[in-house]
Amino acid sequence: MATTFKTLTANDVTNTRTLLHEAIPLTGTIVSGTYTDQNVKTYTHGMFESTFDYPYLSSSANHIIDITAGYSSTSVVSSSAAVQNSKKINIYNQMASVLVGHDVTGGIQQFDRDGDIAGGGTKIEDAVFFVNFSRLLAKDEIKKGSFTTTFLTGGTPSTVQPNANHSALTIGDYGAATSYLVNSPAGEYAILYTSSATPNANSGRGLLYYQAGVAVFSGSVFESGAVGGAGGVLEGTQMGPGFASASFQNLMTGSTIEILAASIRNRIQDISFNNTVELNSTIYFCRANNNEFNYSSNPTYLNSSEIRVKNTTSDNPVAYITTVGLYSSDNELLAVAKLSEPLKKDPNTELTIRVRLDY
Amino acid sequence: MAFLDNSGDIILDAVLTDTGRMRLAKGDGSFKIAKFALGDDEINYELFDKNHPSGSAYYDTEILQTPVLEAFTNNTSVLKSKLLSISRTNLLYLPVMLKNTLSGKLKNTGGDCNSLIVLVDKTTRDQFETNRPYLRGDTLRDDTADPILIDQGIANNAIGNGDDVALDADLVETQYIIEIDNRLGFLADPTTATAATPSFVDDDNIASYYISTTTNTNFFPTGQQGTAMSGDMLAGPRGSRLALLIGPSTNLATSTYLFTQLGSTSTFGAAADTVRHIDTTIRITGATTGYRVDLPIRFIKYP
Repeated sequence: MATTFKTLTANDVTNTRTLLHEAIPLTGTIVSGTYTDQNVKTYTHGMFESTFDYPYLSSSANHIIDITAGYSSTSVVSSSAAVQNSKKINIYNQMASVLVGHDVTGGIQQFDRDGDIAGGGTKIEDAVFFVNFSRLLAKDEIKKGSFTTTFLTGGTPSTVQPNANHSALTIGDYGAATSYLVNSPAGEYAILYTSSATPNANSGRGLLYYQAGVAVFSGSVFESGAVGGAGGVLEGTQMGPGFASASFQNLMTGSTIEILAASIRNRIQDISFNNTVELNSTIYFCRANNNEFNYSSNPTYLNSSEIRVKNTTSDNPVAYITTVGLYSSDNELLAVAKLSEPLKKDPNTELTIRVRLDY
Repeated sequence: MAFLDNSGDIILDAVLTDTGRMRLAKGDGSFKIAKFALGDDEINYELFDKNHPSGSAYYDTEILQTPVLEAFTNNTSVLKSKLLSISRTNLLYLPVMLKNTLSGKLKNTGGDCNSLIVLVDKTTRDQFETNRPYLRGDTLRDDTADPILIDQGIANNAIGNGDDVALDADLVETQYIIEIDNRLGFLADPTTATAATPSFVDDDNIASYYISTTTNTNFFPTGQQGTAMSGDMLAGPRGSRLALLIGPSTNLATSTYLFTQLGSTSTFGAAADTVRHIDTTIRITGATTGYRVDLPIRFIKYP
């Protein structure tokens, strides 16, 4: 019986899972400078600002990060006199409820500096800013142990980055490849430290949520006083160009979220991490035995029914494979694979073509 | 589609087809790969040079240099010619499928734009039906006497005259797949003129009908199979003869919308009347032998 299809058995199909990583280097010149903020989108609600990798009115622009800031209602900086006080509390609560979760009474828990939420300890509550990475950058998750960012903590950043002459603070998720926390409803996270040499509780400056793709920074990034406080600028007088603020705390209470976000954005020298894509693949082994697929139904294969590639009956039939089609049981073509060059098939050869479909 | 880079190792470029993605999106379990087929769409076997002066190693040099296109995602655009598994290696002739243009509905269609004409409604039939091999869409039953015929077998008599020699059983086509644009028309039983039920309609509105010699006997005229088949088209051993009718969709019969969207106007008939028309192609594929013929069809509506 002539046939054109061959049934795949259980031995011809296997599944694999692969983690793919790509490096994401995000320089400060992209988030502030190169496009003179034409790539920064603000909203009338003023809850956050979005940064794109190109002027956002262009169809070529890709959304890369959102920046927002807030504080807890129990923070020392919370005051009805503060600008956008309720919005900043709302932002903090929203992020905390998603990333930290709720306690047994249903109350929103605060960000914890060492991640030991149940054990109490120092909370990150007074002046917090969030950098939310778009799914385009973070993909399935940020690779643990790959994240570093540098903030300009002193001087007055100019409109064109980098500001190499200013003081800078680099923080990262040092050691997170082997040590991370799992007590968040948003997945795994780790503490962002100021030093890779001796990470300790005092060097924690924030939290990085890997699957959520959110970095939570304490205002202590810009702090000159006690760690964990609201933070004051180490050097200089301005957080960003045009924003006359003596300290981060001053900015947090006296400026809108939009100005806060712009100031923080101007203080970013660079961000670098590897993202992760979880690739689930099904591999189909399409096996052509010696006595299979040696003839063709190609219209040029026959010349008035005579096979062109044979002279006599003793000649071996031969066909050339360019395409593999994967079919459903009702003969619908569900997937197709093309070989980069024709593959000769005759009774002297057996082939196994490995077709991988990624999901 | 671009060509695949063939400068280094052989690579495989695999994609889901649009139908595959549609089934995946349905989430009803209909996306289940059960079998595979191999194709050679780009290959021109006329380039196989059996008389190459440098010997047999050079016969297929040009074929092996054929550049291969990237994969199309349209499920009906690829795997148009499949490789065949036949355990015997001593075959020198393979059966083909030919449109029977000497009898049945396809007789004398050459003068009318080389397509089979389907008159989609009564007004059109009243205007044009006189003594012409047109399919009458509103009264398909009148066409059961001379349906479209597709003959399968060996085209020449090198291995014997078809009146005497039967086609080897493993080369007889026993199942046909007929694909037609479901918006335009349908397959009809050549005996009763009733519409057949498509096996499935894909995301591009292409309806596929599976017609088998065992379950759809009306499509295989009794007394016209194998050696009993008249040899006007095939000189050699003959396999199966498929008969079918094509009817117009309700849309075409009752509305000019699709004619405006997909068709054009032309003059038709002895009086050169202006008509609306849509040209399409019906693909008929042998499910076991893989051979395929395309049947051009023109749907006509007057005025």
